[in-house]
Amino acid sequence: MFSLDWRGLVLPFAYLIVLTGTFMTFSTIYRKRKAQQSANLAPWFGPHLQRNVYLSLLHMEPETGSEKAPKVSESVLRAALLRRAVEDIHRIIQIRAAKAACSSLLQRGSIGDDLWQRFQRAEKEMEEELRDVVMEANALAPNWGQSIFQTANEIAANTVLRERLDEIQAQVTQEKEWWEKRRATVRSEFMKELEGEETGTGTPVDSSSVTSSPSRKKGKN
Amino acid sequence: MSTDYAYDEEGHLWPFFVFTLTSIVTVPITYSLIKSSRNDPAAALKRIHTDYEHDQSSVVDTLRKSEKRKDGSKPWLIALVIAGWAVMGYMLYLIKTTDAPVQNLWNPYDILGISESATEKVIKKTYKMLSLKFHPDKARPDASKNETIDDLNRRYVEISKAYQALTDEEVRNNFIQFGNPDGKQGFSINIALPKAIVSDGNGKYIVLIYFALFGVLLPYLVGSWWYGTLRRSKEGVLMESANRLFKEYQDNIDEGGVVAALSSGQEFEDLFKGDKADAGLSKIESKVMASDELPPKEKKKLEDVESGPRRMALALLWAYLGRIELGDATLEKAKFQVAPIAHALNKSFNAIALAYMNTAPLLASYFASQRLIQAIPPKASPLYQLPHFNSAIVQAVEGDSRVHTTVQAFMDQPDAKRRSLVVGKGLLTDAQYKESIAYAKQLPYLRVAKAFFKVTGEKFIIPSSLVTLVVKGRFVPPGSEKVPDVTPIDLEDIDPAEDDLDAILGRKKTKKLVGKDEKGKPIYEETTESEDVYPPLASSPYFARDHSPRWHVFLTDSKQGRVAVPPFTFVSFDRPIYESDGKTPTFAMQTLKAQFQAPPQAGHYTFVMHVVCDSYVGFDTKMEVTLVVEDASQAAEMKVEEEISEPEEDSIAGIMNAAKGAPTKQRVVKDEEDSDEESGTDDDEDDDTSDTNTDTEPEN
Repeated sequence: MFSLDWRGLVLPFAYLIVLTGTFMTFSTIYRKRKAQQSANLAPWFGPHLQRNVYLSLLHMEPETGSEKAPKVSESVLRAALLRRAVEDIHRIIQIRAAKAACSSLLQRGSIGDDLWQRFQRAEKEMEEELRDVVMEANALAPNWGQSIFQTANEIAANTVLRERLDEIQAQVTQEKEWWEKRRATVRSEFMKELEGEETGTGTPVDSSSVTSSPSRKKGKN
Repeated sequence: MSTDYAYDEEGHLWPFFVFTLTSIVTVPITYSLIKSSRNDPAAALKRIHTDYEHDQSSVVDTLRKSEKRKDGSKPWLIALVIAGWAVMGYMLYLIKTTDAPVQNLWNPYDILGISESATEKVIKKTYKMLSLKFHPDKARPDASKNETIDDLNRRYVEISKAYQALTDEEVRNNFIQFGNPDGKQGFSINIALPKAIVSDGNGKYIVLIYFALFGVLLPYLVGSWWYGTLRRSKEGVLMESANRLFKEYQDNIDEGGVVAALSSGQEFEDLFKGDKADAGLSKIESKVMASDELPPKEKKKLEDVESGPRRMALALLWAYLGRIELGDATLEKAKFQVAPIAHALNKSFNAIALAYMNTAPLLASYFASQRLIQAIPPKASPLYQLPHFNSAIVQAVEGDSRVHTTVQAFMDQPDAKRRSLVVGKGLLTDAQYKESIAYAKQLPYLRVAKAFFKVTGEKFIIPSSLVTLVVKGRFVPPGSEKVPDVTPIDLEDIDPAEDDLDAILGRKKTKKLVGKDEKGKPIYEETTESEDVYPPLASSPYFARDHSPRWHVFLTDSKQGRVAVPPFTFVSFDRPIYESDGKTPTFAMQTLKAQFQAPPQAGHYTFVMHVVCDSYVGFDTKMEVTLVVEDASQAAEMKVEEEISEPEEDSIAGIMNAAKGAPTKQRVVKDEEDSDEESGTDDDEDDDTSDTNTDTEPEN
């Protein structure tokens, strides 16, 4: 009484299958590519040297021939962990400073989407790194995890300050030389003037050369 | 009656359709093409008059020209326009040659040869006359007209039919109402497409064309647009370059650092593909390293960069900045090519520095732009901007002083002194000296006379109000003689009258402030001069692009080293800068205005105002300005007091104060005491509402 014309339905079904098939292949390929792209993004920070040092100290491989791994003293481990924390502080400061700028630039279209992805990944990694450092610190000494980053922060600030001081100190010899030269020229000019006065034909001193002073290079700006 | 659609079988409609469509596209494109070719924006702008040419001027000129050619003409667009006009012409020809089918309606009046307003009587009379004349029994066939008996019969039948129609009331009414004896007619709509499109055999081609249009061309256009926008950042550099610049950013970066950062741009990788990245690199490097103009820090940085396009770009940039002769045509060309690219990248770096809101990198970016345009290394003397000035001459001017002499300072010296410094053996010749001086006397140096804050129509700046920073300054080229004194009236910024809607809404006004009458009301003079005056193109003998100088005004917080109010950029000015000869400065007072929101708390805010020109070195202004934000209620009280004591003389005193305060640049007049009295009413209302707000808050 009710018969279906199966053969007639072949065409519409084939159409549907082809359509959905195309969409599915497209979306899977697209997603795979996207995932691959984001996986291939360069990391925000370079290799974490201090962490690598700490981890290799912690997991010393036994040397060939001997059974036991060489023992690393506790204080060396602690120092390595502190170094690692200092490096983390540097990175955190960098990330915090960059976050607002990065997001506003992304909104304006001044930087690309992949940079933002890289940034977010770096942020996540830093969070994990911090947690890891705190755990390691607690394992090395009870309750050290609460204070290790304070210490590291101080060290980091001190390093920055000292670098700046060194920069200024480096200019000392140059400045000194210049002043010596300057003094010599000014003196010779005065002497000339004095001699000139004695003979009665005084030449006026170039006022600009006396008043001009060296630029004081400040550390900031 | 049915309405049916018919395709244009005779082909007399679709030419109209095609003609309209093509003209819609072609005519505007043609207009824009002609317009763009006629007024080259760069050619219209003024330039600084000089005949100075350095050794490499020809290279720079060819680069400039080739760039212009790239920008100006798009061959495919011209081809499109020509094709469009050809199609339009052909369509016009088709319209002309094919006759539109005439619809021959059966008109009884015409057959009887009477007007349509004829009465029944006339109709009858005419019919009788005609039947007498044309009855087949009476009329004879006219052999000369090739008539037969049948023709005569037919004509008579026609005549009697027409008569019948006209005497029948219904038929006549139909004719009068619908223009047709049979009553209302169906109308046919013709589609202006040739029939060939829908005829059986062509269906597949049409589908193919549709597919090509919507399945291929449309996705391609949308895709190329979309990926094009993704590829480039808002500043017009490649996205990858912008990303790298963001990574290169440092809080303590200086001009040299900016130049090094700019060399990371991906644009250079496209410029130095393959072999080009290394060709001649060692030669450039040895010359760059030998130069003593470059800071040692930057030399070290160059050595640290990995070999490849970036190192090549950086070496060439330093060679460009140091004006180092490379002695090789291709290298020379590359040297002048990298600077405009770096300058374009600097725009992106500038946006990044601005996002961080730190003063030092932002300034470094602007200064790097100046250095790139003028081809002067960072920390080198601004005097290199003048033609013929080389290191020997700069040395002669500056001596062993460590502070660089700016062009202004050099030019402010009396002529004899200047001449004795730079003219001589191994230095400038007399002609060269004259050329340099003439050149310097044209440079647009914006000398700021005064800067102050105000709120339009208010006496005081209350928290969170929209403050206008008004910067008054004149273009005083270095070494200008007989600079007129600043008149106090020029230093004021008078609010437009309240009924002057055009001015309030910022429309172009043709009025010019010329003075004040005795009551302190502003007097205006109608002027016809155009509003926007553009300064001459940046004079940059080494920079292979035309660049319009821009002035950036921004406020920074000197204690925190952060930008308080982001830059406002000025490209044009409201008063002429030079007389019509393009050389003599007018010394007209220019007004720069920037609006921003006042801080939410009352107090004194001290900012450092920077006015930075992005094209000339050492033409910047840096001064301290104080923004006084009054508490809303306090401001209202003070206003009442003032109004009682001396209402009108006060305003004149205000002008005098302003005039006295003007020459000492760093004084800021916080409140313009001559602002309109009428605005007081608005104030009070505002204050009232704010007062009630504060009162009600605790209750909530």
